[in-house]
Parts: sequence; structure tokens; C-alpha cells
Amino acid sequence: MSATTFGWLALLFPLAGCLTTALLFRRLPGRSAGVIATAAIFLAFLASIGALVAILGRSGSQRELVSSLWNYAVTAGVNVRMSILIDPLSIFMMLVVSGVSTLIHLYSIPYMDSDRGFARYFSYLNFFVFSMLLLVAAGNFILLIVGWAFVGAASYFLISFWYRRRTATQAGIKAFVINVFGDVGLVLGTFFIFRHTGTMELLGSFHVAPHVFAKGSADVTAGCILLLIGAFAKSAQIPLHTWLPDAMEGPTPVSALIHAATMVTAGVYLIARMHTLFELAPAAQDVGAIVGALTLFVAGTIGLVQTDIKRVIAYSTMSQIGYMIMGVSVGAYAAGLFHLMTHAFFKALLFMAAGSIIGAMAGEQSLEKMGGFRRALPFTYGCFLIGGLALSGVPPFSGFFSKDEILLVTAERGDWHWALYVIGYIGALLTALYTFRMIFRAFHGKPVAEARELESGHLHHADVPRNPATGEQEDTDVGFPGPAHAIAERSGAMRVAMGLLALGAIGAGLLQIPRTDFVIDDFLAPSFAGSKLYTIHEHTSTLAAGLVIGTLLSLSGIALAYYIWVRRPTLPAIARERAGALYTLLHRKWYFDEAIEALIVRPAAIAGSFARQSFERVVIEGAIVGGAQTLAGASSALVRALQSGLLRAYATMLALGAAAVTLYFLLRA
Amino acid sequence: MPPLSIVIWLPALAGLLGALAPGSRERNTSSGAIALAGALATFGLSIWLIAGYDPHTSLSDVTDTVWIGALGIHYKLGVDGLNVFLVALTTLLFAATMLASNIRLAREGIARARSYFFFLALGESAVLGAFLAQDLALFVAFFDLMLIPFYFLIGMFGTRQRVRATLKLVIYTLVGSLLMLAGAVATGVLASQQHGTPITFALSSLEHLRLARGSQEWIFLFFAAAFLVKMPLFPLQGWMPDGYRAMPTEVVMVFSGVLSKVGAYGFLAIVLPLFPQAAVHFQMLMLLLALISILYGSALAFTQTDARLIAGYSSVAQMGFITLGIFALDPQGAQGALLGMINHGLVVAPIFFIIALLARRAGGSEDIRDMGGIAFRAPVLATLFLVVALATLAMPGSANFVGELLILLGAFKAKLPIAIIAFAGVVMAAVYALRLFITAMHNRVGEKVSSFELSRAEGSVLAPLVAVILFFAFYPQLALSRSEGSVDAALAPARAALREPSAPPPVAATPQAPASSGGQEAQGAEEAAEGSGAR
Repeated sequence: MSATTFGWLALLFPLAGCLTTALLFRRLPGRSAGVIATAAIFLAFLASIGALVAILGRSGSQRELVSSLWNYAVTAGVNVRMSILIDPLSIFMMLVVSGVSTLIHLYSIPYMDSDRGFARYFSYLNFFVFSMLLLVAAGNFILLIVGWAFVGAASYFLISFWYRRRTATQAGIKAFVINVFGDVGLVLGTFFIFRHTGTMELLGSFHVAPHVFAKGSADVTAGCILLLIGAFAKSAQIPLHTWLPDAMEGPTPVSALIHAATMVTAGVYLIARMHTLFELAPAAQDVGAIVGALTLFVAGTIGLVQTDIKRVIAYSTMSQIGYMIMGVSVGAYAAGLFHLMTHAFFKALLFMAAGSIIGAMAGEQSLEKMGGFRRALPFTYGCFLIGGLALSGVPPFSGFFSKDEILLVTAERGDWHWALYVIGYIGALLTALYTFRMIFRAFHGKPVAEARELESGHLHHADVPRNPATGEQEDTDVGFPGPAHAIAERSGAMRVAMGLLALGAIGAGLLQIPRTDFVIDDFLAPSFAGSKLYTIHEHTSTLAAGLVIGTLLSLSGIALAYYIWVRRPTLPAIARERAGALYTLLHRKWYFDEAIEALIVRPAAIAGSFARQSFERVVIEGAIVGGAQTLAGASSALVRALQSGLLRAYATMLALGAAAVTLYFLLRA
Repeated sequence: MPPLSIVIWLPALAGLLGALAPGSRERNTSSGAIALAGALATFGLSIWLIAGYDPHTSLSDVTDTVWIGALGIHYKLGVDGLNVFLVALTTLLFAATMLASNIRLAREGIARARSYFFFLALGESAVLGAFLAQDLALFVAFFDLMLIPFYFLIGMFGTRQRVRATLKLVIYTLVGSLLMLAGAVATGVLASQQHGTPITFALSSLEHLRLARGSQEWIFLFFAAAFLVKMPLFPLQGWMPDGYRAMPTEVVMVFSGVLSKVGAYGFLAIVLPLFPQAAVHFQMLMLLLALISILYGSALAFTQTDARLIAGYSSVAQMGFITLGIFALDPQGAQGALLGMINHGLVVAPIFFIIALLARRAGGSEDIRDMGGIAFRAPVLATLFLVVALATLAMPGSANFVGELLILLGAFKAKLPIAIIAFAGVVMAAVYALRLFITAMHNRVGEKVSSFELSRAEGSVLAPLVAVILFFAFYPQLALSRSEGSVDAALAPARAALREPSAPPPVAATPQAPASSGGQEAQGAEEAAEGSGAR
């Protein structure tokens, strides 16, 4: 079979899984919905491998394949077909997405076991994977936008999955609306590009773009900056990031899959996919690089003071995606995608491990209430530690190689890019610091009551289930997490999923070791054949310096974390008092939520209520209708005639009007 | 291919038969069943029309007989790419409405059911007539006929402040209709005067008999008034809030789903080909009205708490998008507008139906503050509602998105700043549609709420509509490929007028001395001929 056939199959399986679990939700016995859904994603993974094998059988320049099923909207100069583009880049993404998704589906089966929305959950999750695969396999701008918006919708469904919690529905609508804002950027950016290229096909646009756009011309720059708005919204970059921490309202496996490993990295994919256009718009590349660097720094600082374990990991995700966005914006495409992959492994692992602790805490997510789980949750601890080391960039864990490569290419661009390079290393220190803050607070120190209970063999259960965000008592029907909790130590499926991801987090970095092997660089090369920035990097001095600095920073971050949170646990409180303003700034997350509220949400609401309460009532109903209505209202005869004589009255008026008009023209003639 | 007269009059005939059916006044099920059968049969005929429609012919299945010979008025009907899917939409939504009405009849009875079904069926015939008419006078006749049954449906069968609502509707539409009548008469008379031909109202002839620029302009305004009221668009939507609240739910389904489209269709099929210079002259005005409708309708939709008004004002916004597409005077925009009309009809009718279902679960209240948590006992209803809500907000992947995309692309090419501002409406649509869905279906269960799954009968109204929405989501090309030729032909005169050297650039279009020279007239006529040739 050809690579494109495998591509279509990879899309078909998750869609079929989604529809099966959705339509048969009443009839599927027991946990079969979870098994069907997991199998569907595994088949998609196999299909992706099939596509990989098929494409490796072709020579380098023959590795871009387009297949189209039917005309979607081919009219008036627009050419949108139901088409996919299979090339090394899309296959790379499909493998990462379907592979990590399979493991998270597997993990979800025990994790969601007691939830009454079990089938609904898996249907949504399959829909998400379908959408994400559509996004990365789309052959034209419109299908890309469709996939883009579908993952946004899937994200909304899953954030609001526990829909009886008002916190969850609010987080859902926030995520959705910010994502729609991003969609608008994407659509408008597409318009700017389409205006000149005259085609909606991705490959076609890339081929003509260098001929129709002068480098740095206004329209290609505007188009690329608008595409970046889409990327920022989806990938939670400043200032469109505020939805991501709130998205932690969703079930933890969802956070692992959508809000860490896959969907939020779509912006990175987008920039890499559109690199031909971005290289024609250096200003847009600069915007992307600067915003990425800002995000990685700001999110890192916020991560230092948050107390909700999932939110800390969420800010960490933001920060890591900042690295990737910065990377692909400075031309480090393979490095950015490499980091995307390693991050998918270790971040999904961290979330899964966090899910296990949250299970042990019976739903509680605050680091303040955790502690000493090292002995109670040995497997979880091991996984969290591996994920944490990979995230902090300690050699030889995977994050070390991928993060370093991004910074190396950034440094090579020279000029002011050195500032980004420095920020990147400050971020690395922050990363190690907040990661090990979590580890030391949750796993070390004196065991809390829940940990001791678990050590004696009993998993803690809350007497009254409460929403951890508000303390509100749960509505224990559909749409709440269910009474039972799962931990990795008691579930084989969870351990398998976490164990495989841990292997990835440890070993994936070996795919691309500086000056040794370039598996990812070489594989992706055909997709970046036209790029001027895509080269294999050999700058020895920067390379060696980077590797040393990276190692030192991550280790010293860990040491510092150990000193602060293990040796001197009183230190944070003192620091909080001494630097109150800084603490408040970080604790309030740099006031982005407040700013958006004041600048956009409130004015829109005020305009809306003005329109409703004043303008509509006074001007539209009052002035325009009022005058005429008073006149007519006075003739109460008409009112009384309403039921019987309306037709007559109407016909009379119509006839009179017609007569008058006819008379007028007859007289004029 | 079925004769078009049968398509038009079959519903009314069935309605009349139903009205003669014996039985009780309260629960006259036979009258409802007969009217439903008529509507379903008409729907079948409209599918036949689509299947047999050849996009390469200009106007097919023409019926043409002299109606009022002395005035040159013909009874001329025909199918083209502009109306073929609107006819199908009309018959589909009326069938759904008839079914929904039958369900209500069986459940709680409808007083004077025979008249109810007769008026509904007559309304369907009138709408179909307006879409299929190819003679200006005939169009006006059907347009006015359309209003009569709906006055009765509100006045006799409405709820809440039906008298006030009917009065408002009468005033608005009567003024609009009279203006349009005057405009139509003037078009025929002036065309025959200016070109020295016998009086005619056939659209195909009038396209060649271009009026002087000055006449076009005031006649344009007369027609625009009637169509803007019908859609409704800002600032002529004053009748809508009371009107929609007073109508029985089933009637709103078609009123908002179909009757609003007659106005938009009128702009595309009548105003643009007949008054192209005026359309160019007033392009900016119409684009601004469209833009204000989008922003204003959306802003109101996300502050209302009455579910019907949320849907009503969202329609104002969506009709704004459609008008934006038409007056971009660009093939992409107009194609998008036509697709948008079908899409809007397909989503707004189920929305109103769902609102009625929600109200039954929320103790009879249509206020979203009284709802909440309905999803958990009604997962099927929740799923169908979700699909409709996502289509309403023009989620990419829905045909609504394709329509909006083409509209905005057309506007983007015509007037960049307007298109960019209009994008705000896309974001606001996400807010109001999701707000409606979430406050009704999710969160804690409202105090008055007792939720239960929708019945099979109710499902049979909703499921086919959702199925059609999903079908078009996968294959919008079905509609696009059939309308392309006709849309191009309808736009051709206006696009020629846009390019006319005497016309100033459209942005700075200023009132000019009407018909500054005879030469310009002749040129206009030539271009019109060229345009019709393509058709």
C-alpha cells in the first residue's frame, strides 16, 4: 500500500473508534469502550508506521505525497479538496501523536474506571486524536484549519468533561474562545497568502511563494504574523496562554495528552510546516522567537510559586513550548521538532505520575497538602524522577539533547539572538528549580496522612467528594470524577503506559547526539529541502560550551531546589515576606488574566448590555417603531380587527397602495 | 422533472384538504397528517429537482403563461442555481415544522388545528412561489402572499404579547411591501418608457432593459427596505424580538429558517441583476449595515438570557454575514452567501426546536437562567444540540464555516478593513453559541429543571436536520458546484458596473447626477446583455 493509503487509514481508525463508542454507548458492556478506543488508536499508530515504511522505500526527493478523495469546496477560484499531504514531517508528527496517544488511552482505562461518563470520555479522546492527525496530515490550508479547530473543540469537550463543575465549564469556554481567536488569525493569515499564491494547497503555495512574495513584503509578513496568532493561541504563548493553566480542570490523562504532549505543540508544527513562508518574512520569525523566549521565561517564573501540582506542570509545558516556538522561529526546525517529541514523552510521563499522586490524595491537587510519598508510591516516584530529570535537561536524559540543540542554533544566528540564548539558559535553571520543587515537596519530607495510610495498605478516599478548586461539594452523578481513584502501583495498565514513556524519556535523546548521529535531522530533511536555515550544525566551541553550561545549570538548579525545599524548608516563607511584590506578581501570574478581563471581556460585555438595555429599547423599539405604533395603536379598530378582519384590512391597504402608485405613474406618463 | 406549479401549490392543496377534514376542533389529527403528507411529498419533489438540475443550463423547467396580459405580467417560474437549494431547504424545514406541529397536536392539542395547518401550508406555497418566480410582479405577489398566513399564525396562535407583536410585524412588513410594490411597478413602467418597449416584468427581459442610474438608486432603496425588514438586518429588526417570542415555536422555525432567506435571495437574484449600478453605488452602505448587524446582533446575543432571543439575534448576525457576502460583489462572497443561507436555515430551525424541548425540561421557561444540567438525563439531545451549536458558531469542518470563509474571502478582496472587523463576529459567535449550550446543558441542575431524554418523535424531527448538517459538512461542494454558474451570472452586471470607467472607485462612491449621459446607458445595457449571455 502507498504511504497515503496508510495516511487515510490513520485518520479512519480514530474516527471509527469515536463514532463506535459514541453511538453504542448504551450497549457497550463494561469497560469495552476503553478497549475499543485504545485499539483504534493503536491501529492508527500501526498505520503511521506503515506510512513510515512506505516512504522510506522512496528516494529522498520523492517523499512528498498528496492524495485527494473528493472536491470539498472547489468554486470561484478557491480549490479545496479533501486531501492529505504525507511527507517526513507529517509522518513524524503522526508517529508521535498516535504513539503517545495509545499509551494515554491505555492509562485512561483504569484511571477513568469509576467515571460514569466512561464511553463519552473515550469517544472524545478518539475524536481528539482524529482531529490532531487531520491537522498534521492536512494537504491544504482549509483542512489544516479544520483539524486546528477540531482539536480546539476536542480540548473544550475534555476540559469541560466534568461538566457539573462550574470551574470546568468556565475553563472550557475560555479555552474555546481563545482558540477561536487563534483560528481567526489562521484564517486571516491564509487569506493574505492566498491573495498572492491563488491556491489553497500547501505544497502549491510553497512552490509559488518565493516567486510571488518579495522577501519581507508587507503581505507575507502580515500573513505570517497572523498565522503566529493562531500558533500562540493553540500553543499557549504570551499573551494568549491564559487558558492553559485553567485547562487543568480536565481529567489528568487529558492534561497529559492534549495539554502537554500533542495539541499544544501544534503551533510548533505550524511554523515548521510553513517555514517557506516564514523564511520570506523575517520580521514574523523575529516575533515568534521573541515571544517564545518571553514565554519560556515568564512561565518558568510562575511555575516557581504555584501550588497546584497540575498547574505547575502546565506552566512548565508553556515554558517548554516557548523553547520549541523560539527554535522553529530561528530556523532550528529539526531541533524544535526533536524537543517536541522528547517533551511529549517526559511531560506525558510527569502528568501520568501526577495523576497517580492525585489518585493517592483522593483528588487533592495542592502541593501544600502533599509530602513524603516516596515510599508509598515507589513506581510513581521513579517515573516522576525520570520525567523530572529529562525535563531539567540532565544528561543523558532526552531533554538534555533536544533543548541544547535549540539553543545551539539560536546562538548560531548571532546578533541579538544571543539574548535569546541567555534567556534560554536562565529558563533551564528555572526549569530544574520548579521541577525539583515539585518532587521534593510531593515525595520527600515527612509523609502526610494519605501517604501513611497508603503505606499501611489502604488507598485514601474522601468521605465527601469535593471540587479541589473551590471546595464545593460534588454533584455525584454523571460529570464528576467518580468515587474511586487509581494509582499506578495498583494498576498494570498504568504501569505499562508509564514504563514505556519512561523508556522514551530516558532514551529518545539518543536519536540525535551532537556529532554522532542525526536520525531526526536526516529523516526530516526532505520536508525542509528548500530551507536556507536547515543545515546540520558543527560549531564545535559553541556546542561544547552549550553542553557544559546546560549540564551545570540543570544540576545546580536541582541542588538549589534541594537546599531550599529539603534543607531549609522555612526559606520560601522568608523569601515570600522579603520580596512580597515579586511574589505577588508571580503568584498572580503576571496579571495577564486581569489585563485581558479589563481590556477585552469587560468592554465587550458593557457594549453588549448597552446595546440591549439602552440602544435596542430606546432607539430601535422606541423611535423607529414607537412613532408608527402610537399612530396605529390609536386606531383601535385595527386591533379589534386583528383576528377576523386583518386580511381584509391588509388587502385594502395593499390595493390602495397599488392604486396610488399606479395612478402616480399614469399621471406622470 | 416535476412541473413547478405542482411543487408550489401541492402544500397549499394539502393544507386545504386538511382544512376540510372532519373532526374535532382541538385535536384534529387528520388535518395535520394531510398537511404533513403534502409537505413531505413536496420535499420529495424538491429532491427530484436537485437531482435533475443541470448546472450548465441557465434556467430550467420554465413554466411561462400570461397572467395579466394588459400589464405584461406573466406567471413565469423556473429553477436555477440560486433557488434550487433554497427550494429544497424550504420544503425540508416546512416538513420538519409540520412534523413538529403534529407532535404538539398529539401531545397537547392545537385550538383550531385546521386553520393552523392550512395557514402553515399556504405559507409554504407562498415562499416556494417567491423563490421560483421569474417575473418581478409575480415575485411581489408571492412575497406579499407569504405574509398573510404568518400574520394569522402569530395573531391567532401566538403566545405572550401576540397582539403587540402582530401589530409591529404588520407595520414593518406592510411598509416594506408597499415600497417594494411601488418599486416593482416603477421598474416595469420606467423600463418600458426608457427603452420604448412594451411593458414587461419578466426578470430575463428586465435585465436587458437597464434603468437610468437615478431611477435605479431610489428603486434599489425601496427593494432594500422590504428585504432588510424580512431578513431582518440592523436597523430594521425592531419587530423581531416580540415577533419571535410571540410565534409558536414551530412557526419560528420556518420564519427564521426560510422567510429570512427570501430577503437575501431577493438581493442576489433581483436587486443585483436589475439595479447593478445602484448596487455598486450603495455597496458601502450595505456592507456597513451588514457589519453593524454582525457586531450588534452578536453583542445582543451574548447578553440576552431569553434563549429565543439569543437565537434571534444570532440570526441577525448571520444574516449580516450573508449580506456582507452578497455586497462584496465578488463571486466567492456571493457563493459563500448562498451557501450561508442554506446553512443558516439548517441550523436555526433545529435551534428553535431544541429551545422548545429545553423549555419543557425547565418548567416551561425559555430563560437560560432557569436551565442548567439538562445534559445528564438526555445525552442524545445533548449530542444533537452540540452538533447544532457548533455548526451555528461556524466551526471549521461545518458547511457554515465554508460559507463564512467564502463570504469573508470575498469581503477581504473587496474591502479589507470591513472583513477584518467582521472577523470579530466569528469570535463572538463562539461566545454566544457555547454560552447557550453550556448554561442550558451543563453546570448544576437548575431548580425548576427535571430532565428527560427526547422522545422518538422529537428525534425524528431533529435527527434528519442534523444528518443534513453533517452531510453538508463533508460535502459542501454539492451546493457550491450547482450554484456557481448562476451566481456568476447574477453578479456579472454589478461587476461590470464596478469596472465602469465613469463610476468612481467604489470606496469613494458619491452620488452622481443620474444618467449623466445616454452613452453610459447604452453601455450599461450592453454589459447587461453580456452578463445574461453568460447565464
